[in-house]
Amino acid sequence: MSSMPSNAPVLQVNGLVKHFAVTRGLIRRKVIGLVRAVEDVSFEIARGETLALVGESGCGKSTTGRLILRLMDPTAGSVRFKGKEIADLDKDSLRRMRRYMQIIFQDPYASLNPRMTVGEILAEPLRVHEIGDDASREARGRELLEIVGLLPEHARRYPHQFSGGQRQRIGIARALAANPELIVCDEPVSALDVSIQAQIVNLLQNLQQRFGLSYLFIAHDLAVVKHISDRVAVMYLGKLVEIADKKSLYDRPLHPYTQALLAAIPKPDPTLRTKRVMLQGDVPSPFRPPTGCRFHTRCPHAQARCSAEEPALREAAPGHRVACHFFETLPAPTILARAGLAKGKFAQRLAAFEAAKAARTPA
Amino acid sequence: MDNLLEVRGLKTHFATDRGLFRAVDGISFSVPRGRTVGLVGESGCGKSVTSLSVMGLVPSPPGKVEAEAVLFGNRDVLRLSADERRKLRGGKMSMIFQEPMTSLNPVHTVGQQIVEAILAHSAMTPRAARARAIEMLELVRIPSAAQRIDDFPHNMSGGMRQRVMIAMALSCEPALLIADEPTTALDVTIQAQILDLLSDLQRRLGMAILIITHDLGVIAEVADQVLVMYAGRIVESADVNDLFADPQHPYTIGLLGSIPRIDVDRKRLATIEGTVPSPNNQPAGCRFAPRCPFADQRCRLDPPPLRDIAPGHQVACWKAPVEMAS
Ligand SMILES: Nc1ncnc2c1ncn2[C@@H]1O[C@H](COP(=O)(O)OP(=O)(O)OP(=O)(O)O)[C@@H](O)[C@H]1O
Ligand SMILES: Nc1ncnc2c1ncn2[C@@H]1O[C@H](COP(=O)(O)OP(=O)(O)OP(=O)(O)O)[C@@H](O)[C@H]1O
Ligand code: SF4
Ligand SMILES: [Mg+2]
Ligand SMILES: [Mg+2]
Repeated sequence: MSSMPSNAPVLQVNGLVKHFAVTRGLIRRKVIGLVRAVEDVSFEIARGETLALVGESGCGKSTTGRLILRLMDPTAGSVRFKGKEIADLDKDSLRRMRRYMQIIFQDPYASLNPRMTVGEILAEPLRVHEIGDDASREARGRELLEIVGLLPEHARRYPHQFSGGQRQRIGIARALAANPELIVCDEPVSALDVSIQAQIVNLLQNLQQRFGLSYLFIAHDLAVVKHISDRVAVMYLGKLVEIADKKSLYDRPLHPYTQALLAAIPKPDPTLRTKRVMLQGDVPSPFRPPTGCRFHTRCPHAQARCSAEEPALREAAPGHRVACHFFETLPAPTILARAGLAKGKFAQRLAAFEAAKAARTPA
Repeated sequence: MDNLLEVRGLKTHFATDRGLFRAVDGISFSVPRGRTVGLVGESGCGKSVTSLSVMGLVPSPPGKVEAEAVLFGNRDVLRLSADERRKLRGGKMSMIFQEPMTSLNPVHTVGQQIVEAILAHSAMTPRAARARAIEMLELVRIPSAAQRIDDFPHNMSGGMRQRVMIAMALSCEPALLIADEPTTALDVTIQAQILDLLSDLQRRLGMAILIITHDLGVIAEVADQVLVMYAGRIVESADVNDLFADPQHPYTIGLLGSIPRIDVDRKRLATIEGTVPSPNNQPAGCRFAPRCPFADQRCRLDPPPLRDIAPGHQVACWKAPVEMAS
């Protein structure tokens, strides 16, 4: 893999498709339809970059993540890791490749084996990839615990002896064990309390800087995503509807769905309480997605053409692509009011909080 | 102010084989008529136990509910008979839960369930109750309510089921609605619809709402007054604008600083170090002391009382108001 120039993307996903057969009947299983979980999804991730994948429940985010790691076979499409097509790899090469691509799951409870000590959990990936010996794996385990802000003696404990945030740190340590280059983070903070969520988000950012990691950060929360990502891809019912660098996406969202998602986030500032334009209706079933633009049943700007013809993902600006027939002519969304809370008493108090904290923790 | 609900010195403890869990440990608050009070705090701090205690739904044993008084209107509900309490529940005092699927019965249509709730609290005929149920479903904006009323819960989306729960809770025109994480399980676009619906219904029906959530964003959207709970106690209580503009408790300050926001650019999120204490092993003094950057010896030994720090603004912190050390 050393033949790749260093600025080449770590990951290239092209035309990825995943259909799940929906069956009925126990004895003679009959396929009665297809869930189109992922439809023609393409994107790239550069070295050291975080691409966020956002969208509502069931839109296909986790499936996309699993397809990238080849935890399931795609219906169609290509996934290249550092230029190499993953579909072409035999079992052995795939296993070796996995060392460089790891995943962190949403549920820190379910994803750790309860019968293994933390030390064993951290040594496992090294053992699988035949890295080092027992002694060096143990040393690496202690080092990993330190990296994620736990203590070396935690290696002897079992997962149930840790809090949710600590378990997520263990999950992160395990993902880091074999020095990966890409980590798929599938909603790594969604199950955590905000104060713990912030600890984990900061940790992920530190690790990225330290080890030059690339992240695919899956989330449904556009606020967390704004904090952690470089670029953002928005999915709706299996399709990408918009992809852009972070600044463009938040300053000038072009797809009506992205605009609606941004408007729907409850803002922790009562002075911004306004009558919002709200999306009506529910997310349609991916079993029978609407014709044409999949968003047309909920779109406030939909016209006749939208239900008849599927919009292509078109370039709006360099690196900014949008799947809407009318994005050029749609009215600009009301620009997000800037919060007054960034200044004033709250800011002073937060500064005092941070200063007091800094004074306590030796640098 | 005219308080519909007034809770004084509520303590709810659970006797377990791992010790006594002081889930709610001496809290007082009130909910004025026609207003929305938000109860916010992180997982395990005692929000749900508070609401279940007010509703009279704490399983006993292992739970034990004690209070100086829980006044609803002018009656102390802790001194009502089991029968009188049951009548109150789902009648004048109603609750919606976080997970609509577990609180709706899967083998009955949503219509049967709403009708049953109405008949339990009124002298209507079944036919009139059904008409009322359809009216309620229309009120919560379920399209083609007259048809959807005969659907089973599993044929509805999560957002629709939550609206059915709201319709059921409102069917007897409660004076108080307790909503425990009513939108947590829902997608943001659906959450926005439900919050908007609740505010709209409150304007029209004039009920008081106690909304429970871990999300300060939801609080900012709907609450008039806010109670911040930490480890079984209320640590701050204020008008919603004051709480966000001038937070006093270090926990509230840290919590507000740790929320990622789309309207503020911040390089790093603030963090509160450590984790919430276990309810069977609470710190002796201020329960936030082990995580608080301002804590000193007194904080670790003496529990701070909830005291007035500004008009209508209470805080339980020895050090408030905290300022930059010079
Ligand atoms: N193994 C499977 N068999 C059948 N359908 C599946 C399978 N896995 C996922 N699906 C369906 O594919 C669609 C996409 O699911 P996916 O888990 O990728 O969504 P998601 O965006 O990660 O949602 P969430 O935010 O709820 O995690 C859903 O409709 C889901 O029900
Ligand atoms: N039946 C019970 N027996 C023993 N302990 C209980 C019982 N019910 C609740 N608790 C404990 O009381 C504490 C408060 O729980 P509660 O459900 O009120 O938290 P919460 O603030 O609603 O949290 P969440 O945000 O996770 O819903 C928890 O530590 C919980 O374990
Ligand atoms: S293509 Fe049409 S329906 Fe789809 S988002 Fe654009 S305007 Fe709306
Ligand atoms: Mg998922
Ligand atoms: Mg709860």
